[in-house]
Amino acid sequence: MVYLVAAKQESDLARVREEKPELWRQVRRYNQPIQLALAAADEVMKFAHDASSAAVISLAPCQPGSADLYRWGSVVTAGMASGTLGNMRMNPTQTLHAVDNLAMSAFAIAHGNHAYCLGLGGAAGQAWCGLEAVVERLNAGFEEEALLMAGDQDAAEDGAAGLGVALLFSVHARPSSVRLVSIVRNRQISDVKPHAANGLAGMLSSIAQCNRGPMSYVVPAEHTDGFSGVTVNLEVS
Amino acid sequence: MSDKRRVVITGTGALSALGATTHDLWNGLLANRSGVRRVQRLVDSGINVTTGGEVAAISPQDVDRDHVIANRAIDDALAESRRDAAECGFIWSTGLDTFQMGAEGFVHRSAGRCFSNLASRFTGPRRMIAAACASGTQAIGEAFRLIQNGGADACVAGGSSVMLTPFYLIGFAGLQAVAIDNGDDPSMACRPFDKRRKGFALADGAGGVVLETRESAFERGVPVFAEVIGFGVSQDAFDLNRPCDDGAGAELCMRRALMDAAVSADEIDAVNAHATATYSGDLAEAAALRKVFAQRWQSLPVSGSKGAIGHAMAAAGVLEAIVAAQTCVTGIVPPTVNLQHVDEGCELDHVIGEPRDVNAKTVLSVSFGMGGQNAAVILRRS
Repeated sequence: MVYLVAAKQESDLARVREEKPELWRQVRRYNQPIQLALAAADEVMKFAHDASSAAVISLAPCQPGSADLYRWGSVVTAGMASGTLGNMRMNPTQTLHAVDNLAMSAFAIAHGNHAYCLGLGGAAGQAWCGLEAVVERLNAGFEEEALLMAGDQDAAEDGAAGLGVALLFSVHARPSSVRLVSIVRNRQISDVKPHAANGLAGMLSSIAQCNRGPMSYVVPAEHTDGFSGVTVNLEVS
Repeated sequence: MSDKRRVVITGTGALSALGATTHDLWNGLLANRSGVRRVQRLVDSGINVTTGGEVAAISPQDVDRDHVIANRAIDDALAESRRDAAECGFIWSTGLDTFQMGAEGFVHRSAGRCFSNLASRFTGPRRMIAAACASGTQAIGEAFRLIQNGGADACVAGGSSVMLTPFYLIGFAGLQAVAIDNGDDPSMACRPFDKRRKGFALADGAGGVVLETRESAFERGVPVFAEVIGFGVSQDAFDLNRPCDDGAGAELCMRRALMDAAVSADEIDAVNAHATATYSGDLAEAAALRKVFAQRWQSLPVSGSKGAIGHAMAAAGVLEAIVAAQTCVTGIVPPTVNLQHVDEGCELDHVIGEPRDVNAKTVLSVSFGMGGQNAAVILRRS
């Protein structure tokens, strides 16, 4: 059995900076989606039995990078045109902003986590692959807990609004936990809006509005991978 | 008796600096030949890194190069396996967003969109792996696990990368990870485990394998290259840019792969090493291998492919696993191209200068990603 035992959404980095200065020191170099994912993960791991041994499944942003990185891209383009590329040096912090597995690495360092890790890339609908991977790992008995986290932004070029989300799963039920019963896919072609965090946030909103008992969350087509429909069957206690 | 299904490789596709086929890759390695060379468009850009592993078969002017190179590897693997994409899952890494040089500057290409386009013809699970340089190896491992546990009957697994552009070379140069030009023979830019190593040569590339159940391969009567018998991953949890000196994270993923395969270190006949030719990476890897193999490290053949093909990032692990599968088939361990003088701290039983026929049947292939993601697979002659 797999239970969702804690979840957190984070969209306010100003508050994180104000209320969690130690966490902010750890994440301030990173780009917005990574900061938001790590801030959400930091909250849910307070409910973990052992943060160092949980499986970590992390979604890369579908809108990766940062405004800084895009500005750098413009500088490089200008340098190419003017023949001055040879004089250019890249700020290592901006290099980090291009990295797709950054949240996973940063989380591992912060929590001393050497466990199973799976980074899923910034393609549409990978959140549900992440959820499937959680079920596979926990049902197979590889780990007792698993973290699924994601951060993304509406646009990378101008650092537009972002959202981080983190979900902690366990093989042990707790008061008010939600049992993840199954994930069912069917063939369904649709248009998508690639975003690593919005799909999971939508599911959490539905769970929050649900009374006790079984529920089926039909993933909106725009949050799928565009090739398959997804239904997440849950039992709210 | 275990109810886990056995998983085999029945098709491969490899595009690398040594050529556009698995045959080219394998024969180039056996000939101790490097495909890394000076790249004119990098020379023209004026940056201080002008060597790389370019896939000559696909034009660098092709804006769809990311799709073309990947599809070629996928199609070759499927053709060899006599499989249709519609029967398979797709576990693949397209690496990072890329910035191809266009007529009016850099053209941004989304890795996620590239994956989605590639995945459209597959009907099984479609997972995009993002584990930096360990992506290709983890893609194979994840596909192995899916098939082993009944989540799919067949998968195409692998990765593709088209990062050989000034945009990324400037970035990697800042991290002191790539070999800066200093008048050397460009084909010797990448020297794994060597005293004169100075970093890797960035490369383009794509590698794909078809994995399926051993039972279905036999039923279909297709040749089997190797069986995948174990998979392990770990995180260093140490630093974003360098591994821990003692290679603890690398050691952990190797031990997990051995445990998963239910084999002892004594049963490994050869190692395909990550071997990036970075100063700290090679030291950490050598330390990890010596710990895992204890007293056997002095007689266990170790070979790395990046001296010959450069570092193809998301494709690196799968290209190297294809080499490991060829070792399983032939028993031969290719040499580590450009390794001449083993550095202090990098001591292993390196295969140098010419291939070694040791009738290797069980091979460990490892990859270690920037950020500390590590992955290992164990292949066995089937």
